[in-house]
Formats: sequence, structure tokens, C-alpha cells
Amino acid sequence: MPKRILIVDDEPRYLRLLEANLRTEGYEVATAQDGVQALDVFSAQPIDLVLLDVMMPRLDGFGVCQRLREFSNVPIVILTARGEEQDRVRGLDLGADDYLVKPFSATELLARVRAVLRRAHTPTEVTGQARFFVHGDLKIDFARAEVWRGEEPVSLSATEYRLLLQFTHHVGKILTSEDLLTSVWGAEYKNDKEILWVSIARLRQKLESDAHAPHHIVTRSGLGYLMPPVEA
Amino acid sequence: MDLNTLSILHDIFQEVQRKVDWRTALDTLFVSLRNSFVFDNVAIYLEDPHTKGLDVVYARAAGRGKTAEADVAWGQSLATEAITKGVMILLEPKHVTGKTGRLGMAHLLAFPLYIGSKLSGALVFIRFGGPEYSELHIQIASLQAFWAAALIERRDLQEARAELNSVQRQMRLQDDFVSTISHELRTPLGFIKGYSTSLLREDTVWDNATQREFLNIIDEEADRLTRLIEDMLESARLQSKTLQFKFSPVRIDALVRDVAARINVHHPELEIAFDFQPLPPIRGDGTRLSQVFENLFSNAVKYAPASGIAICMRSAANKIRITFSDKGEGIPEDYLPFVFERFYRVPGERTVTGTGLGLYICKQIIMAHHGNIWVESVLGEGATFVIELPVESMR
Repeated sequence: MPKRILIVDDEPRYLRLLEANLRTEGYEVATAQDGVQALDVFSAQPIDLVLLDVMMPRLDGFGVCQRLREFSNVPIVILTARGEEQDRVRGLDLGADDYLVKPFSATELLARVRAVLRRAHTPTEVTGQARFFVHGDLKIDFARAEVWRGEEPVSLSATEYRLLLQFTHHVGKILTSEDLLTSVWGAEYKNDKEILWVSIARLRQKLESDAHAPHHIVTRSGLGYLMPPVEA
Repeated sequence: MDLNTLSILHDIFQEVQRKVDWRTALDTLFVSLRNSFVFDNVAIYLEDPHTKGLDVVYARAAGRGKTAEADVAWGQSLATEAITKGVMILLEPKHVTGKTGRLGMAHLLAFPLYIGSKLSGALVFIRFGGPEYSELHIQIASLQAFWAAALIERRDLQEARAELNSVQRQMRLQDDFVSTISHELRTPLGFIKGYSTSLLREDTVWDNATQREFLNIIDEEADRLTRLIEDMLESARLQSKTLQFKFSPVRIDALVRDVAARINVHHPELEIAFDFQPLPPIRGDGTRLSQVFENLFSNAVKYAPASGIAICMRSAANKIRITFSDKGEGIPEDYLPFVFERFYRVPGERTVTGTGLGLYICKQIIMAHHGNIWVESVLGEGATFVIELPVESMR
């Protein structure tokens, strides 16, 4: 099975350059011209590697990388015209596997692609492109960062969404207040339990049909909170 | 505290805090409590951080004090004393030299002011004639002094924030500029590097058509890079005002016809329609103005191919107005205000190569002639660039 690579760049000449070279190596190629389109194309077919430009209209490369990492561990190589260290670090911090600074040579590009694919070498099931998450009547589209309760779209603040992701990524695991505070708000908030109480309450208000008898985010007295594996 | 007092305080608090300007807020504070605490003059002294001397930053004369107006020297020594000792000072009655009667009997009350927990000034109340300050009066006065200090601290913070914002904006502009330039330069370079190394690959053979395609791209991108560098130098010279303009009498209509003729040599397909009124000559730099017209023509060729261009010239009230209208796609309304900005390119405009500097350069040149340039457009119906130049331009 040939590997399929998704190229995302808003410059048609870069798409052409990458596509022409990748095809000579026997890869299949899918293309997208902006970040939003990239997420749609990605969800529509199995993809083995993403080549991602940073500066793009609508949703930039960093944004795409962050969204992808919420539901997939597909290898990502960032293409950046800005060689500054902070950009490279930011890309890697967001979960990119490698980066390539423009201008680059065709042979370097192909070598990087081979190396990243070799390292990743994971069967496609593990790259598991579960774009949607379902838990009872709760449904999440990670690619668009959208949440529904049944047919009703739910509007969450950025913090509430990050809090919810903690649970969806650790279904069945008890998360302590400190875990949650540290990963959502930052280490300096780790004892600020009141913030967490208020946020959990708000989240339940929005997600649960009965906030006093929650099904999605359950309290384990003295231990923490968890999202039960199957709907309780 | 009884409900009535609380509700009065509540209203005063709201009234005072709502005032954005600190002086107005202080005015409101002193006026609103004058029913409970009568004074004639109030003054606020702050230590100058550099000279360490005392400056009067706020002074008001009310009621009986108005006749003894603006003479703030009366509080100076008491303010100094309050600051030195760091405590409230009550002085009554003090005889003010040179004044007689009631105005000669000054009751003075001074409070040290702590601003940001640092002792940095004093507030002085004065009342001419009796009655003496009661304990309640002193409490109210003390409250006002605390409040005044908080209002001054708020002023300091507002000023600091404004300064910080402006520094930040400057830095961001500079950052944007640097990263835009580096992006703009790297884009054509990236294509040249990428396509030439593709052709140099030894592990693959490209067919003839692909080879030509790649070579054409390299050629075009090298030209784009050259143009970009030229435009950047030009716009840097315009920006730093080091570009010399040579002003002389110019016949604009003849100039436009010349440029049009030159454009038609390269683009014989471009239809140009003229509609000129007889125009007075203006003072201008013919070479630079030609550059502007050339740019507008080549934009029409690039962005409105096969639409033709109509040029209209009119003179009115010491101005001439030149319009270049095409019937192309037009420019979305949201982007219209930005097209003359440096490096601005309409988002999604990728089919045509450009530097984002052409219209910026046009605008700088027209501005150097004390004229104006702008664009009007209806999406799908075309764009009209309008230039206005003063007839007695640049004596």
C-alpha cells in the first residue's frame, strides 16, 4: 500500500513542487490550501503524513497541528519560511515531529519525509483518526472543536473545552484536582480548587441533562473526577 | 454605619469612579462631600521624582476661598511638614499675614498621601474662619485624602499603560515588518531553490514538459525577486524621504498618453479609452508620476485582463482629477482600506505575482505632490483608482 501524504500550503507553486517530487517516490498525495480545508481533507481519508505550511489564511499551521493532535498522532512535518528558533520550538511543542525551513532542497525534503515515516512506522489503526468522540448523548468534533448534546450544539469557553478534553483523553481514569488544574490552568493554579469546582459545575450545566446526577463527568469523593468508560 | 450614610457613600463612589479623567474625578469627590465637610481651598502637592521638590498638581478654591484664590503658597510649608512627619497635621487657627478679618483666620488640615504604598505627597484643606474642625470633619477629610491618593495612583497606572501600549504597538509593527520582509524574500527564493534542486535530482528523470515548466517557474521567480528588491529599495527611499523629486511644469494628459503608448507596445491587447478635458499644467516630477501611471496600467493588465481601461481627466477648483477604471473582478469592500499599505496583498490573491509594494509606492509619490489617491470598487463590476493633484502643486 503506498503511503498517502497530505500537503497543506496556500502557495500553488509549493503544492506543485512537493507533489511532483513526492510522486516520483511512489507516494500518493492529497492537497489543501488552508488550515480548515486541511482538517476536512484529513478526516475524509487515511493519511500517513502531513506536510504543513505555517503561514496560511483562515487557520494557520500551528492551529492545524494543535487540532490534529487532539485526535490523531499522524506524523507532522512543519514547513516554515520563518527560521526563527521560537517558531521551530513552537511547532515541536505543539506536537510536530519535524520541521523544514524554506528554502529547502528537493532531496532534503524527501529524506526528511522518509525518516519521519520510518520513525513513525505505526499501523494506521494507531494513528487512529477518530475525529469524532461520542459519550452517551455527548458528541465532539475535535477537528472543528465543536461540541453537541444530542442535536443541540453546545458553546464552551476555551478553558471549558480544554477541561473537557482532559476527560475525553483519559476515559475511565480518575483525574485529581491537581492534575486538572495543572494541565488546564498551569502549575501555579494547582491548589486553586475553587476555580475547578466552578468550572466543573459550569461544564455539567452545559453537558449533562441533570447537572446533579452527572453521567459524563462524575465525582469520586476524595479522589477526583472521571469520565466513566461506558455511560453510567 | 447606618443605611442612609451607606447609600450616600455608594452614590458618591459610583459618581467619582465613573469619571475617566482624574481631575474631574477629584472635582466630583470634593464637591459631593462639601455638604458634610466645608472647606474653602484644597490643594494636592506631589513630590517631583527627579528634583524631590513639591509640585502643586491640583488646587480648587470653593465658597469663601474664591476671594483668596489661587494663592496656594499657604499650604506649602504644612504639606512639607505632613510629608516629613508622615502624619496628619491640624493647625488652627493660623493667622495669614497680610489678610484681615475672617480671611486672616485660616484653619489648616494636611494629610500625607501614600501612592502605591509610597509616601509621595500631601493634601491640604484650608478653611477661613470657624468653626473649628470636628472629629467627624477630620474623618471625612481623611477619607477624601485616601481616595484622592487612589485616584492619583489610577492616573499613574493609566499613563503607564498608555505608554506601554504604544511601545508594544511600535514593536509589533517592527516585528511584522521584519517577518513580512523575510517571508516575502524567502517565498521566491524557496521556489528557485526547490525547483532547481528538483531538476538536479539524480535519482529521477523528469519529462521535457515538466523540465520546461520548472525552468519557467525558476525564471519567473528570479524576476519576481529582482522586482521585489527594486521595489523595496524604492519604498525604503520614499519612507526615509531620501528620494529626490525634481519638480517642473508637467502636462499630465501628455504624460498619461506617453505611458499608455509604452504599455500598448508590451500589451497590444489592452484597450485604453481616453476622456480628457483640456487641463492646466501642474508642477510635478514627470518621471515619478509616470511610475504611478505605469503601475496602475500594469495592475489593470494583471488583475483585470481583457477588461480594457478607461481614463478620465477633469479639472475642478484648483485640482485635477484622474480616474483609471477597469471592468475586472473588483476588490472586496473589506480590503479596500488596506490596498495602499506596504506589503498588503488582498488575501487569496495568488494567481498573480506581486510584491504588495506597487500601490504603496504610488501613494507615497502622490502624497509628495500634496495630492491624494484612493480606490472605489464594486465587486464583480470593476475598480476605479482616483488621483487628485493640486494645480498649484509645490511652489
